[in-house]
Amino acid sequence: MSSVAVGILSGVLMGIVFGFALEKSRVFEPGMIVGQMQLRNWIMLKVFLSAVATGAVVLAFLHGFGFVKLQPKAALYAADIVGGLILGAGIALAGACPGTTLAQIGVGYRDAIFTLLGGLAGAVAFTYAQPWLAKSLIGTGPKLIFTEMAGIPYWQGALALAAVIVVVLALIERARPWRDDLGADVDGDVAEKASQPRSRLAPAE
Amino acid sequence: MSPFDKAWSPYAAGIVIGLLQIPAFLIIETALGASSSYVTVGAAIAGLVDPSLLKIDYAAKHVAANAKNLWQVALVVGVALGAFASMKLSGAVRAPVSPIWARALGSSSRSLRYVVAFAAGFLMLFGARIADGCTSGHGLSGMAQLSVGSTVAVAAMFAGGIATALLLLRRI
Repeated sequence: MSSVAVGILSGVLMGIVFGFALEKSRVFEPGMIVGQMQLRNWIMLKVFLSAVATGAVVLAFLHGFGFVKLQPKAALYAADIVGGLILGAGIALAGACPGTTLAQIGVGYRDAIFTLLGGLAGAVAFTYAQPWLAKSLIGTGPKLIFTEMAGIPYWQGALALAAVIVVVLALIERARPWRDDLGADVDGDVAEKASQPRSRLAPAE
Repeated sequence: MSPFDKAWSPYAAGIVIGLLQIPAFLIIETALGASSSYVTVGAAIAGLVDPSLLKIDYAAKHVAANAKNLWQVALVVGVALGAFASMKLSGAVRAPVSPIWARALGSSSRSLRYVVAFAAGFLMLFGARIADGCTSGHGLSGMAQLSVGSTVAVAAMFAGGIATALLLLRRI
């Protein structure tokens, strides 16, 4: 474990790169997230799967050559399903996930401040409930990964996953080119194209 | 792929994000994640009002001023800075609330959107903490590590998101 100063400095620098990429990909836009969840905009899935595939290739090498230990979370099926469903509902209504909420605040979306405050309240509420939830719902479980179950080295499974993702992305891109999902104001608001003149770009009050 | 572009290809941006696993694993010995930072900040603030909260192990573990906890808080602060910088460089101008919400919620009321956003944030973090991870921790990092639990959590996350967006929100 590195020192606190190194942690904070590397965190800010990595966060800046992260936020920059989230903004450039437009995936932080509510229009992209709600559009993805309504299955009419595919930018979120493209960014997400590209990042997963890249991470898998990177970790295949780092882990394969013994530079790092994997850090998988425990498999807690009830908690993963219940928590995942609630998280997903929140993401659709927020038009953001916990990380992209901060990107929305960075570009000046005012409702994202309320998402952040709600998120902090939710995290505190969970903390109060955690001792009880840990016993009643969450429990404990093994840190299970698929390649362990299959009895093959992690790097083989990781590279296979990346290869499958590349094929899936190529198929989605052929069906739906990413530029078609941007919208006139690159906010995923594709429906707006044909509608009324936009007065909303007037300076914020 | 210039910093002055308004949009990059989602693939280029995704690759940049995926490469961040290198410093995360090498420097902090952890995977990318975002939602535990809400516990670190939320519990630290709530602990000022109710110090007994910090006696809960889960709170104590998250507010401890160690490299991993503060790294993630710094990371999400950096996300806001990076998004701001990108927006300034490209000259994109954002309305205070995205225009899709008037259609999705069926109302252009700013207050309604703020109430929904607060409730959504609450659900998002309450759910993420039950599942022990969010789109970053379970999604980006868990799936890249071929974690079985994370794959289940991501499937549930999309199921919950798609059901909510199709049933509760109007077509955007």
